[in-house]
Amino acid sequence: MTEAALRVPVGLGHSLREEVFRQGRHEYVALGLVASATLAGGETLLLRRIFTLPEDEYVDAPGHDGAWRGAAMIPAIEAAVDGGLGLVVFHAHAHDGPPRLSGDDRESAGRLLPMFAARVPGRPHGSVVLSRSHAAGLIAMPGAPAREMTLDVRWLGASIVDWRAGTEPRSSDSSLAFARQRLVVHDRGQLTLGGARVAVVGLGGGGSHVAQQLAHLGVGELILVDPDRVSRTDLHRLVGMMTLDVLLRQSKTRMIRRAIRRIGMGTRCETVTERIPGPVALAALARTDVIVGCVDNLHARADLQELAWRFLIPYVDVGVNIRAIKEPEPHGPRVAIGGNVLTLIPGGFCMWCSGFLSKEKLATELRGPDRSYFENREGEAQVVSLNGLVASQAVTEVLQLFTGFGGTGVGLSDLALDGRPGTQRGFRKLDGVRGTLEDWGAWRRPDCSFCNSTLAAGVVAWKTPR
Amino acid sequence: MTAETIEQAIRDLVAAYGDGVRTAHEGIRTLVRVSDVELPPGCQPSRTPMLIVFDRDQAKPIPHVQPEQLLANGRAPRSTSTQIVGGESWMQFSFNIPWAEGQGIIRFIAAARQRFAQDD
Repeated sequence: MTEAALRVPVGLGHSLREEVFRQGRHEYVALGLVASATLAGGETLLLRRIFTLPEDEYVDAPGHDGAWRGAAMIPAIEAAVDGGLGLVVFHAHAHDGPPRLSGDDRESAGRLLPMFAARVPGRPHGSVVLSRSHAAGLIAMPGAPAREMTLDVRWLGASIVDWRAGTEPRSSDSSLAFARQRLVVHDRGQLTLGGARVAVVGLGGGGSHVAQQLAHLGVGELILVDPDRVSRTDLHRLVGMMTLDVLLRQSKTRMIRRAIRRIGMGTRCETVTERIPGPVALAALARTDVIVGCVDNLHARADLQELAWRFLIPYVDVGVNIRAIKEPEPHGPRVAIGGNVLTLIPGGFCMWCSGFLSKEKLATELRGPDRSYFENREGEAQVVSLNGLVASQAVTEVLQLFTGFGGTGVGLSDLALDGRPGTQRGFRKLDGVRGTLEDWGAWRRPDCSFCNSTLAAGVVAWKTPR
Repeated sequence: MTAETIEQAIRDLVAAYGDGVRTAHEGIRTLVRVSDVELPPGCQPSRTPMLIVFDRDQAKPIPHVQPEQLLANGRAPRSTSTQIVGGESWMQFSFNIPWAEGQGIIRFIAAARQRFAQDD
């Protein structure tokens, strides 16, 4: 059977499951609006929004587990037409193991899918049944007839929860190498790490730590992205760098790849020496499971977040900034050391929601009217131990995403900070003088125009103008 | 920029470029992709897809070409930046191209193309 993939943002997955697994006198359905893109798992549906049907729109229909008035679908269909999005009808069979579409499901999909395609041509449409561990459906990809498919489903939440259509990865024989981290990672988590593909963007003081720690953890593949070559001023903080690299003007990607090979955990490396968001870098990043950004400017952060939100890829961002205090107190600190570790789960708060990014901050970063006048921050103060502090936290965040050692829920409440509903953890601020990394919390703003336009947007769907 | 201006521009583009025109919407932006625009002799490549972004918050359309586009003099244009638009990489250039709502999109594109023949 053909396979496709479905990705679901944090919060939306919880709502979807609550609706379709609801107990009642009939089966419940949810209508999902989806974009699509070709990602690591092949053709991937990206869930943007769901519509539920009011109870009084369901009708009694002998021989059917769930039936509803066609007019009840109008709001969802109109939203799909407006947004140029595909429509997927979700329902559930409440058991473990792979679900099968019933004859009733096929007959219903046979009526609905051509109607959806007529209303929103050129987009994928489908009917999907969820069990408690797997998913299958009839999916009509653009330009192709509907086919029965099993689906890999990725639920984003406190961790990445994957429902795999195919066989689960088998245990590896490298258990001795990872024996001391088994208590945290578990065998299944180690297998997940071994199959994971993580991008590290920016291989300076932060990125050099991050990439090597990920290799030590046992991450299977790293995408190393940095256009620069090393110089003598990097030697004090790039972990793994040698004096010889300065003489050879070694590229940062090659230098880190060499360091990772020497660790010997079998991590594969793909190197990209193109600046974000060039087309090669963009294509490589779209295939990753998690992106770690260790970049030194807000514009690059905005680009990485856009990519992460479009394709529903968790994004961890780190940065350190050190400033001299103009008139320090006697015996007081002479520098202010700030920084951040942001764990951005698509569907939760973004950099715009939290105020980390703003149009004013982006404008301040420029000397002129647009991005081509970007002011390079090369030469700013950096210290290896401070880079290492935020980098280690970022790697721990990646570890949590893949192994769920701190929890695995897919609802926004599963990300709540210290039991404060509505306030999500994941916005950590560094006070480098005190040596603390405090979780400030943040929340998704319902009116965030970035989230509303970009979350699960995939690649734009071009239409022939009428 | 008004919705009527954007609709007229799309009609003009379809009249000039026919089947090579595609549109999409993202938030308040209308994206128009022209599949094949000829650039002045010497440009590398000599033909490019062009993306024109109509943003109701911006005074004029924003043209983009494919990244790595070179000028007729063989050099990379200055004052450019690569950006993500519609999930794809595009090169935006900050050439000062005159725009008046009444002058029409075709003249605007012609002026944009001509800037690739200049030296900066």
